[in-house]
Formats: sequence, structure tokens, C-alpha cells
Amino acid sequence: MAWYIGRRILQAIPVLLGSTLLIYAMVFAMPGDPIVALFGEKPVSEAVRSQIEQQYNLDKPFFVQWLLFLGNAAQGDLGMSFSGRPVSELLAETIPVTFKLALMALVIEAVLGIIAGFYAGLKRGGIFDSTMLVTSLLVIAVPIFVFGFVMQLTFGVKLGWAPVTVGGDASWDRLIIPAFVLGLVSFAYVLRLTRTSVVENLTADHVRTARAKGLTDGQVNRRHVLRNSLIPVVTYLGADLGTLMAGAIVTEGIFNIPGLGNLAFRAIQQKEGPTIVSVVTVMVLIYVVMSLIVDLLYAWLDPRIRYA
Amino acid sequence: MRTRRTALAGIAIAAAASLMLGACSSGGDDDGGSDSTDAVITAYGTEPQNPLITTNTNEVGGGNIIDLIYAGLVSYKADGSQELEVAESIESEDNKVWTIKLKDWQFTDGTPVTAQSFVDAWNYGAAEENAQLQSYFYYPIEGTDDEGVILDKGTEMSGLKVIDEKTFEVTLKNPEALFPLRLGYSAYFPLPEVAFEDMEAFGKAPIGNGPYKLEKWENNVEAVMVPNPDYKGNRPAKNGGVTFKFYTNPDSAYSDVQAGNLDILDQAPPSALATFKDDDSVQAFESPGTVNGTITIPESLKHFSGEEGKLRRQAISRAIDREEITEKIFEGTRSPSTDFSSPLMPEYREDIPGSEVLEFDADEAKRLWAEADEIQPFTGKFVVAYNGDGPGNKEWVEALTNQLKNNLGIQAEPKAYATFAELRTKVTDRTIGTAFRTGWQPDYPSVYNYLGPIFGTGAGSNDGDYSNKEFDKLLQQALSAEGDEQADLLAKAQEILFEDLPAIPLWNTNVAAVAAKGVENVEFNWQNKPEYQNITK
Amino acid sequence: MPEFPADVPRAALPGQERFVAPLDQTPLAETGSFDDSRPPENQWKEAWKRLRRNWIFWVSVALLAVVAVVVLLPQWFTDLDPTYAQLSRSLEGPSEGHPAGFDRQGYDVFARTIYGARASVLVGVLCTIVVTVPGVVLGAMAGFYGGWLDAVISRVADVFFAIPLLLGALVGLAIINNLWPDRGYWGSILTVVFALAAFGWPQVLRIARGAVLEVKNLEFVDAARAIGKTRRANLWGHVVPNSLAPVIVLATVSLGVYIVAEATLSFLGLGLPPSIVSWGNDISAAQNQVRSGQRLGVMFWPASALALTSLGFILLGDAVSDALDPKSRNRE
Repeated sequence: MAWYIGRRILQAIPVLLGSTLLIYAMVFAMPGDPIVALFGEKPVSEAVRSQIEQQYNLDKPFFVQWLLFLGNAAQGDLGMSFSGRPVSELLAETIPVTFKLALMALVIEAVLGIIAGFYAGLKRGGIFDSTMLVTSLLVIAVPIFVFGFVMQLTFGVKLGWAPVTVGGDASWDRLIIPAFVLGLVSFAYVLRLTRTSVVENLTADHVRTARAKGLTDGQVNRRHVLRNSLIPVVTYLGADLGTLMAGAIVTEGIFNIPGLGNLAFRAIQQKEGPTIVSVVTVMVLIYVVMSLIVDLLYAWLDPRIRYA
Repeated sequence: MRTRRTALAGIAIAAAASLMLGACSSGGDDDGGSDSTDAVITAYGTEPQNPLITTNTNEVGGGNIIDLIYAGLVSYKADGSQELEVAESIESEDNKVWTIKLKDWQFTDGTPVTAQSFVDAWNYGAAEENAQLQSYFYYPIEGTDDEGVILDKGTEMSGLKVIDEKTFEVTLKNPEALFPLRLGYSAYFPLPEVAFEDMEAFGKAPIGNGPYKLEKWENNVEAVMVPNPDYKGNRPAKNGGVTFKFYTNPDSAYSDVQAGNLDILDQAPPSALATFKDDDSVQAFESPGTVNGTITIPESLKHFSGEEGKLRRQAISRAIDREEITEKIFEGTRSPSTDFSSPLMPEYREDIPGSEVLEFDADEAKRLWAEADEIQPFTGKFVVAYNGDGPGNKEWVEALTNQLKNNLGIQAEPKAYATFAELRTKVTDRTIGTAFRTGWQPDYPSVYNYLGPIFGTGAGSNDGDYSNKEFDKLLQQALSAEGDEQADLLAKAQEILFEDLPAIPLWNTNVAAVAAKGVENVEFNWQNKPEYQNITK
Repeated sequence: MPEFPADVPRAALPGQERFVAPLDQTPLAETGSFDDSRPPENQWKEAWKRLRRNWIFWVSVALLAVVAVVVLLPQWFTDLDPTYAQLSRSLEGPSEGHPAGFDRQGYDVFARTIYGARASVLVGVLCTIVVTVPGVVLGAMAGFYGGWLDAVISRVADVFFAIPLLLGALVGLAIINNLWPDRGYWGSILTVVFALAAFGWPQVLRIARGAVLEVKNLEFVDAARAIGKTRRANLWGHVVPNSLAPVIVLATVSLGVYIVAEATLSFLGLGLPPSIVSWGNDISAAQNQVRSGQRLGVMFWPASALALTSLGFILLGDAVSDALDPKSRNRE
């Protein structure tokens, strides 16, 4: 198993190279001159422009830019943002906040989604199942902005139970409502995935065997049905952590959370190569770790699955 | 219904305030006292995009801070008129060579503000190797190129001369009576000696000479400013400090104002424009503003040059119902343009001949368009480009092109560019090939600033490549004229613009701001900014 | 089911120690009787049989048929031009001939909802197809064969997955918009589809891989192998049909999510141009009205249309995954 884990971690290296090269190429091909934008609607002096281009290596071909980035990154230097701050500093500020937020969202969507999906699946076609179907449709069709705003207005402004915005103090309790909003769409996925698997597993042979052994319904459902239904759910959740982290743009905006989603979005708007690539690098690491954890969990959830 | 909502909101605020007391470190405490001058005011802000260096901060987030922690040679009153601040006197015989004498001031680190503090700062800002974003502002001074960069790399501006510790001399390329008016802008602020030792470090913890000093800048969270006890200028702090809380989305700031967690938001978000005036949980402020919105139609655009172009431009201008768009799309928070500048400018004139072209008249528009069609029939469609990352742009461009469609019977449509960078790149390299949105926020309070840099032949921000000799001449004359004579010349210059319409004026953005309940003395200046130092609660 | 070759000799074979009674002379033939002229059993055909008997399937078909008619023939439902704006009637409520009233631009909301179906359904359906097909094929292969193939496929997917969907699509579209500014109707829709799909398929891949990993160790797979099915036939004939359920769930939920994602892109000026009417565009344009509490109907109509379409596909997905599960007979 150690061999398996080691091999998987080694495999992260080509992924890292591939992702950063891909995103670097894309950002390079993106239209728009970042320097013009820096100057707003004021004219730009050619001399100043070439000065800035040199400073950020913008005058070099993208492949060279990428290699320079990699070289520096290997020495712990992720480059500078246009605002003159080291990218490593920007990441150090935003990652903990966003990681916390995404992790909470993941827990919330997993717990709520699995419980709701489990009961919806047990009583297929019942009232609860139908209610959950309508809930998922609502979550899909109404933009997250609207949910976020309604939650903020209700719990923040009107009831005063939760802070209206999070700001600099991103403690766990202040992030509960943003995390809930962030996890909403994924909740619909987890719910539907769990429900379908539960429905399928209810009639599986080993479940019938367990019942025949004389286990109670509750024991069967929890130990056999649920556990065996979790493979697709765990796969989904494993991949979702990264998506939540980088996809939190809207939620971060509504609740004013200084996080990674906004950092990435702003960097793309400004064509700030080093920042974008650093964010993607973080994403790669998260995906690699999460997909490894998921693969290890498979074996625990279903002993028939063996490490290849 | 209405009363019930009031009651609810009231309870909510009380609850929120008591809940927030412990958590809020910036101290938005509401002690109930109205005369307490030591209350700290929290204001909406955005994370500065550059280090806080006077010569490098060209965006609002950092600009707000710079303006409060520095004092320039002159300062502006709320109405835009100027007063001497650090300068004892600013004098010139010929409007070309200006002698500036300083008062006895000091920076918050105790070092004196000297002639050298100004000259060094400006030279730093104009030096190519420093690549400062504000270099453009030095272009009137001798020894710089058209973009304000020092001509010979490694030297200093030939137009700046230190006479003694408290006196220096500025020589301009051309005579300019309005020059002192520019000097309240941040690019012309002084920098202390310590700045030049390590500008990077200085940009994180700047030392100034303004009404406040920066106590703490927590990235992406807030900038805390406390009053500077040694400040003796025109803008003394009347509160216990100003804290800019940084937001990425004004919507969330609005919610914070509603809940009483933020004292002032200087621009209500598009989503609140319809309701903020009737919102019982906030105080609403509305007044005319100086930022204008225009669409620029490049001279090079097919069908838009020469006599045909003039007719089409006028037709388009008359086919736009500005009243309706400002009412329906902006909920009355913009005011239809009456000229190329803003009614707040000191030289503003009502009813400049030719300005009727800004009034909606669908029949006249059709007639003008048909007349142009006689010269050469119109082909293709009329496209207006905008940047999608600017809030609210999509809505008004779509409404405007719909009006052109309906009123002129032509094909008209919006075209989005994802980012401001992309739009500006296409504009500056002249490959855009369509009309596009433009806007201007004045650098100093004068109609001239709305005309010279935008429509002067070859001027830096002349995105549409407009050129008119007569117009240039009038501007040149206006520069060295004063008072009413100057206002007359500027009005005459605008007459030409109304004829040619290199850009089509649309509206001025009003101040549409909200403050939390209990906040007092909120007053907006000519830059549409609150006078932060006067706010109390 | 095993196949018996027709030409097997029925008498004792050379080397047999004892005579074995011909099959037709034993009662075994009764218990295990089957028609050996019948074509081999096919999982897919069986599924279709079960599907036809499921009423949920027919509900979803009816719902989607309505959507299809709206998509193909919007002019049957309204005479109004969805791109004609009367700003003077901005946010007006319902009136004679305008059952849903007007939005902020003064467009007729009902006409927009009807005409918006085409672009939105196209984006949703095409995105789902483009994401699901390669996702399932590659995911199934990765899970089934394992080893270096799994490593290569999974890591390539990670490369794309590491780039967040919306951000990747944002950059991709900015590039395409620049290279190819006027793409017309299909060009615009297809680019949005590919921009979203390019970074969306790895998710399907991971789910499909996980499901195949689980299924490939089940008894019936071993059984099929025992009777001499090739690995390939086994994968596509037995393993994949039995692992599709989670993929179908993912696909049907994603369909609606993609329609909304298009809205986010359009909101930033990158998705469909304003000249193409779509639900996504209208939903995101209506956000401000929701916040200020003006005319919620402006969002209600396109959002309901989107929800109903989503419902149709989710129900269809439920019915199909039921049908693909041979055990589901027990539940009837």
C-alpha cells in the first residue's frame, strides 16, 4: 500500500506540469493587454510599458515564461502580482480561509445530501422523496446569488443570528451560512446520487442475505445498503473539494470573504500569469490528494475492490 | 405593510449591533451619542491594487487612502474650488514658469515637508525605470514626453528647480492658467525622504502629511486610519478615524450598511438602485455627479466620417431617449447629459448652442439618418462594445441599442468584451472596428479636463482620433485665459463638438450613496466622494 | 446465458468413462429449459423492455416532448418578437396579450421564455452529451483495465480537472471570442458547449471509473467471464450497463447546471451574445429585480421553464437507471 501511495504521489508531477502548462498557454493566448488595463483610461508610455513587461517577463514567449515560473517556484518563489505583492503571500492569506469554507460546505452537503438521499431512496416515490426532488430542482434553477442574498437578508440583516458579511474574521461559526450556500448545488448532486444507489442496493444479493441472516431493517440499511451506496457519492465528494474552493467566487462575493475564488477570478481578469498558475498548482495538489483518498476509501467501502 | 417593515428592520439592527460588538475589531460601536467626535467611521473600500505610493496609485481603492493620508500643495473644497494647503503661494507671471512657496509642515515621521519632498516625488513618478502608473500627470512639465515620462532616462525633469528649502520652480511646456488646479491631485503629493530608501517597503506602510495617518493595512480586509494630530490644513479630521473595509462586491457592503455594520457606502450597487431611496434601514443620499458616460464612434468607422458621419452621429444622438434609460435602467441615479462635462464644473454653461442634439426626437433622428443615406446608403449594423466586467454596462448598452433599433429602424446590437483590459487593448491599438463605451472621471475640476485630454488632436485619451483645428485653437486659448473669458472659450469649443459629435454624451452618474442610521455630516464633493474627514456619528 | 453449440454429439464421446444421458432424455431439460434458437440475451434490449413498462418513463417523455416542440416551433406559442424591447413598458406587470409582463429592458417575458428554450436546451443537452460520452468511455476503460491505462487516463483527466470549470471556460471563451468574433447562432452555442465540456468531462470520468471498479468484481461479471465472454464484451455488455446509474444521475442533474453556467458566462459577456435569447441570460438579468423585490415574475418564468426541463431529464434518468438494473424487477 505504501508503494501504491508513493506511486500515486509521483504521478502528481506530470499532472502538475501538464496543468500549469495548459493554463499558462491559455492565459497567454487570452486577448487583452494587462498593462493597458493597469493604466485605466490614461495613455501608456512605450518606455514604461517595456519596463513593466521586462519586470514580469511578459516580453518572453510563453514557454519560457512557464519554465521561468517553474524554476522559481521550485525555489519557493511564486513570483509577484501586479500589485507588487508576492504571490506566495496572497496564497497564504486566501487558502486557509477558502479551504475552511470549502471543507465546511463539503461536510454540510455530504451530511445533508447523504441523509436526505438515503431516506428518499428507502421510501422511493414517497412524499419525502418528491419533496427532495422539488428541492433539487429549485437549487438547480435558481441562481446561487439569489439563495445567498435571501440567506444573508434573513439570518444576517433581519434576524441578526449570523454576521452579514465575514470580512477579515473567517472563523468557523461565521462561515456556516456561506458554506451552506456554497454547498447547495453540490447538495443536489449528492442527494440524487445517494438516492439512486440506495434504491439499487436495496435489492442487492448481499442485502437480501443480510436480511435473511435476521438482521433488523435498521441494521441492514445502515451497514449494508448505505455503505455500499457510497462509492459514487464519495467519488463525487472527493472531486468536489477543489471545485468548491475555486468555484466559490459568487459566495465569496456575497459574504465578502477574501478567498481563493476571488483571487483567481481577479487574476484572470488582469491576466496575472503567476497568480493564476499558482492557484492552479494548489488545485492540482488538492485533486491529487483527494483522488488518492477516494481510491483508498473505495477499498474500505467495498472490500472486493483491490489496489491495482 | 410599510410600518411593519420599519419595525422589523429596527429590531434587526438592534440585535445585529449587540451581536457584532464582540466580534467587530474595527470598532463600529454605536454609543448613541451624536456629538462624539471620537467615533471611528467605517467606509466601503476596495483592496488597493498597487502599493500605496502617491505616484503609482491610480485606482479608487488606493486613491481613497492616499487622499486622506497626504496633503498636496492645494486642496479642493467640496464644490471643487481650491484652497492653498501645503503651499504658501503659487505664482506666475506668464502662466508658464510657476514659483511655489511652502508653509512649515511636517510628515508624520517628524521630518519637514520641503521643496525637495515635492521635486523628488515627481521625478520619481516620471522616471521610466520606476514605471509608475501616474506618470501621465507630469506631461505638462518641461522635460517630459507626451506621456509624462522623463525624456532622458536616468536624468531629472528639466522643468523642476529647487530654489531653497521652502521654494521651488516649475516650468511648463506651454502656458497654462489652470496649472495650480492640477496640484491637488495625488500624483503631485510630496514624499518623505525615507520613501526613496526602500520604496517597496514604504508602499506597504506609507508616511504622509495629511489629515490621517495609516495605522494598519490588513490586506483584503481593511485599512485603519487615525487622525494626524499635527495636521494643520483645510481638512481636519472631525471623527476618531476612518477605516476602509474592503469588499469585492458592493452588494455585500449594502447589506452591511442595512445591518449597521458599515457606516458609509459611496456607490449603491445596481441591485439596490431601485430601492435604496425608500429603504428604511439606511440613509440615502443622492446628488448630481461628475463622472460622465459616453459612446465614442471612431472617425475611421465606415459611414461615420465626413458629412455623412456628422449626420449619422447626430441621428444616433437624437434617437437615444436618455431620460427613459436613466429612469428605467438606472432608476434615476444618472442624469441625462446636457454637455460634454458636468453641471458641477465651475465653467459649466447651460444651453450651449447645438446642445439640443442631446434631446430625444425620433422623427428628427429618422430624418437625419435618411439624409445621410442619400449620401451613401447604410450597410451592416451599428455595434456598441462594452466590457462585461463593469457592473451594469450590459443593461444600458442593450437598452441603448434597442432604442436605435426601434427609432432608426437599423440593425444595432451590443458586443461584450470580457474584461476592461480586452476592451481597452482593442481601443488603444485601434482594432476595435465598432463604437464603444467610454467615460471620464475628471482629474481636476474644470470643463477643460473633459475636453483637452479626450478630443484634442493627438491627445492621450483621444480614443476616436478626433481632430479639429478650430477646436484645438479654442482650447489653446482657453488654457491661458481666465474667468468668464475662459468659460466662454470652453463653451465655444463644445459648440464644435456638438456639431461633430466625436463621442455622444449620454449621462452623468449621480452620487447614489447610503449611510447607516445615526451617521451624520455626510457630504459629497465634486469627485462624487464623501468628505470622509467630516463624517461623524 | 450460456449457448450450446447445435452440433454437440449426444452419445458417449471417446474417452468418456460412462455414458451420459442425452440432455433431451433427462428431466434437467425441464428445469433449465430454454429456446436455444433464441438470440443471445442482451442487457440493453432487456432494459428497453423494462423501460417501456415504467410509467415514470412516459411522464418524462411527455414532458420532454412538450419541451421539444417549444424548442423546434416556438412560433406556435407566441406571435411576439422576443428581441423587440419597449423600454417604456419596463417591468410592467401582466396585461392583455402579455401574460408574463415585461422585464427591465421591456422585452415580453413570455416570448423570451418560449424562444429562450432553444438555445438553453441545446446548450444543456449538447454539453451533457459531450461530457458524458468521453467520460463514460474513458472512465470505464480506466476502471476496468486498471494498471498503466488507468494511471494515464486518470492523470490526464486530473490535468483538466485541476482547472476550475468556470474559470477555464472563461479563459477559453475569451480566446475563442477573440479569434473568431462573429460565429453566428450555431457557432456561438457550440463554443459555449465545448468551453464548458472541456473542463467538465473529468468529473463524469471519475464517477464512471468508480462505478466500474465496484461492478467489475460482482458475481455476474465473473460468471460472464467463466462462460468465455471476452473482456471487451464483458466490459460493454455487462459492466457498463450496470455502472451507468450514477453517471445518469450526474448527467441529468448537470444538464440544468450547465444551462445556468451558460448564464454566468453570458453575464460576464462571454457566453451567448445578447442577440441569442436564452433562459440563462434572462435568469441572470433578473437577479437585480429579485434583490430589490421588484417583479419576481421576471425570474419566475425562465427559472420555472428551466426547472421543468430539468425535471423531465431527471425523471427520464431515474427511469433509465431503473431499467438498466436487472434487480429492479424485484421492486415492481
